[in-house]
Amino acid sequence: QEVTLRLSHWVPPTIAPASRGINPWAESVQEASDGRIAIQIFPAQQMGKAPDHYDMAAQGIVDIAYVNPGYTAGRFPIFSLTEIPFMTDDSVGAAKAIHTWYSENGGLEEMSDVKLCFVHPHAPGALHSKVAITSPEDIAGKNIRPAHATMARFVSLLGGGPVQVPAPEAREALSKGTAEAVTFPWGAMYDFNLTEEVPVHLDMPFYLSSQVMVMNKNSYDRLSDENKAVIDEHCSPEWSGKVAQGWADADMEARDQLMADGQTFNTPTEEEVAAWREAAMPLIDEWKETVTARGGDADSILDAYKAALEANDAAY
Amino acid sequence: MTNGFIASGGFVVLFALMALRVPIGIAMGIVGVGGFAMVVHPVPAMNLLSQSPISSITDFNLTLIPFFILMGVLATNSGMSAELFRAGRAWLGGFKGGLGLASVGACGGFAAICGSSVATAATMTKIAYPEMKKAGYPDAAATGIIAAGGTLGILIPPSVVLAIYGFITETDIGMLFIAGVVPGILAVLMYMLTVRVWYGRHLPPADKFSLSEGLAALRGVWAVGLLFIAVILSIYFGVVTATEAAAVGALLTAVIGMLRGRLTWSTLLDSLVEALRTSVAIYTVLIGATLFGYFLAVTQVPQEITTFLTELGAGRYGTLALILLLFFVMGCFLDAMAMIILMVPIVFPVITALGFDPVWFGIIVVMTVELGLITPPVGMNVYVINSIAHRVSLVTIFRGVLPFVTIDVLRLILLIAFPALVLALPGSME
Amino acid sequence: MTIESPNLRPIDRVVQFVERIAGITLGLVTLLVVASAIGRYGFARPLPDAFDLSRLILGVAIAWGLASVGWHGTHIKVDLLAQAVGPRARRWINVFAWLVLLAFTIALTWKIGNRVEAAMGGGDTTMDLRLPHWPFFAAIWLGLVAAVFTTALRLWRVLRDGVDLGEFDGIDESLLEDQK
Ligand code: NA
Ligand code: NA
Repeated sequence: QEVTLRLSHWVPPTIAPASRGINPWAESVQEASDGRIAIQIFPAQQMGKAPDHYDMAAQGIVDIAYVNPGYTAGRFPIFSLTEIPFMTDDSVGAAKAIHTWYSENGGLEEMSDVKLCFVHPHAPGALHSKVAITSPEDIAGKNIRPAHATMARFVSLLGGGPVQVPAPEAREALSKGTAEAVTFPWGAMYDFNLTEEVPVHLDMPFYLSSQVMVMNKNSYDRLSDENKAVIDEHCSPEWSGKVAQGWADADMEARDQLMADGQTFNTPTEEEVAAWREAAMPLIDEWKETVTARGGDADSILDAYKAALEANDAAY
Repeated sequence: MTNGFIASGGFVVLFALMALRVPIGIAMGIVGVGGFAMVVHPVPAMNLLSQSPISSITDFNLTLIPFFILMGVLATNSGMSAELFRAGRAWLGGFKGGLGLASVGACGGFAAICGSSVATAATMTKIAYPEMKKAGYPDAAATGIIAAGGTLGILIPPSVVLAIYGFITETDIGMLFIAGVVPGILAVLMYMLTVRVWYGRHLPPADKFSLSEGLAALRGVWAVGLLFIAVILSIYFGVVTATEAAAVGALLTAVIGMLRGRLTWSTLLDSLVEALRTSVAIYTVLIGATLFGYFLAVTQVPQEITTFLTELGAGRYGTLALILLLFFVMGCFLDAMAMIILMVPIVFPVITALGFDPVWFGIIVVMTVELGLITPPVGMNVYVINSIAHRVSLVTIFRGVLPFVTIDVLRLILLIAFPALVLALPGSME
Repeated sequence: MTIESPNLRPIDRVVQFVERIAGITLGLVTLLVVASAIGRYGFARPLPDAFDLSRLILGVAIAWGLASVGWHGTHIKVDLLAQAVGPRARRWINVFAWLVLLAFTIALTWKIGNRVEAAMGGGDTTMDLRLPHWPFFAAIWLGLVAAVFTTALRLWRVLRDGVDLGEFDGIDESLLEDQK
């Protein structure tokens, strides 16, 4: 063993994003390096708060960090395009698409302090509620816990109230009536014990929340050439697809289980789907404004994203 | 140098700095950053200071701490703590050791609207100590009773330490508060028993009870009752979150104080400043303990302790006893809150793996760190009483509180044997 | 201010002014959380950004409160040894303790200054209203700068006048005097 890399993330060590994404990735790195690289994993915010993780990697507090760019509104404007709902219905293709697109369309500048290792979305998340929500108008007047800053904007746009509580407190917020609905990946229904609070599900691919694994640049530069090769091999669109597959499988198993448990699944009509997509259009305009204001070519970045999703067979 | 060696060295330096009066939070912060620099590198260690302290002071989930502190300060400054003592005196004063019983009762009542043990002890020292002194109580008994009674501050809801436990373990803070009610009442009763049985014979005789005075005194404490009910019932019935209950409680205390003419704008302003200062002292410990926690985590010593405890094979209760013993010993040297921040992340995975209830363990662990508040050499309640009643030496107070330590251990065993005492009430929520 | 506290020296007045502003800020955050709760339950509409604003503003109040506590010496600390030794030794213990506090406060101010710079370039904002974070961080940093000054002044007073740390308002001693 030549080098120990410290990897920090903020999810409990046993749930899908860790057990079917992060941990297998780290094991593969260790194996592929014939044991020259050891990865020490610090789960569950042991080394810092979730929103601090990008800076922790950038500043070398840890070597590798798991980042949700959606936790820091305004920080990664280009990346936030991936948070806009109804762009994709397949997280595995989307993971590869985002990896390639982001690397070629400003991601290297936006996350210039770190090396991007993989993109890790869950299977498209859904809207889970106490009472049926099938069309955009149903959001008005409801308090909803959104997944990230962009979904918070979406809820506001539709006349709802976004309720910001950390994921582990979602159950408490729902049971107290502080929130009446949540946007979450399917697996979270079991991970956060929400099945009894929100047994009604809008069964359509709604939105993505994509984490990214990033590595401190110095930590990478210090590696020997053969170790660099191992890391490079593991920081690729293919690996983004692999880790996304692991999480997506877990999410789909959870969805099947919810169905088996007899929970309510509402499938929207084509008109309703069209109405939802239409309702999300202002988010794209807002995104363009932000990116343009920061000096980006919003239209070409957007086109490139759509093309990348098409190329990976993941467009909505 | 092995990481284990660096971690133990860190504790040695920490205790040395603390002994030299460096604020506890600052001592932990310095050792945390210094230790992180030794294990990792000095540059990222310093960078911890850019991240972690700002995260700590701007964390929404901790905002309930200053709100509950403010509620306690406002209650004191509008005379509610004095009223509690008067009511206790009117009803319990007739028994032998009546002032002592009244002090315990008033501590329990005040704990129901104040989130901090040190604040409860400080407030009650100012009110109850002069009265007991006047009645001829020995210093050891008078201060010991208040030091022990003060620990109720973090057991009876609201509680800063329970809130931090909930924050760290992601356990429902409201449920933890409700779980503290029955053990809190039990503690009041057991402390009263200790006053009667242990000190009773040596204490001077008591006042005569008069029903009219008793009733008059009760009229004074409606505000405390109203506040407790408003805060705790709204949490119990799930009307609001614990943070909102804290803010509403503080506002309500101010409004009641103003309506009764007990608070002026000027005392309100003073109360805000006092609450802020107390909160800052607490946040300093939070900041430091968090930094120290990152240092410990990076040495991997906590992970090794967890593995050791899991593989020990001491059985469920054997392992629990070991963990509590660890808390008890460390509690002699460390501040209650600092201990929760440092130790709970280490043992919590073991506790859940053993199948213990997180809410129940929260109460058990808070009762264990409570002991640390009254055991030498570092006992915050004893320090704060000493800083107010200057003439009573630390040693005298530590001696006076000893019988209560014994009874606390008994209560702990009782609640471990009968977890339903803790869990029945929160279990009935919704 | 001069009317109610005529005996205060200029530095005491400055600290008093600062801590009152910080105290009022704490009061405002309390009101904000209450208003947000009322908005949510009463009108199914939480105040926009109540979550981010209350935590950021409270952070500012806490940072300015550090200046107050650095001056008054009321940090949570262990007094056992300081009480056991004579006044001369105690003074040196106090000097050491406050020197360490000062060093830590300076380091913190420096590193949080870096964070403010980064935030000014980084574009972090609140979730709803998209208000930039950096003005709040800058206000936190200014509070820390104030804390460096008050801590240094306190250290100077400990060195020069030998004043002790901490100012708990003790019980009225005359009350106990009567009972002897
Ligand atoms: Na309490
Ligand atoms: Na102790």
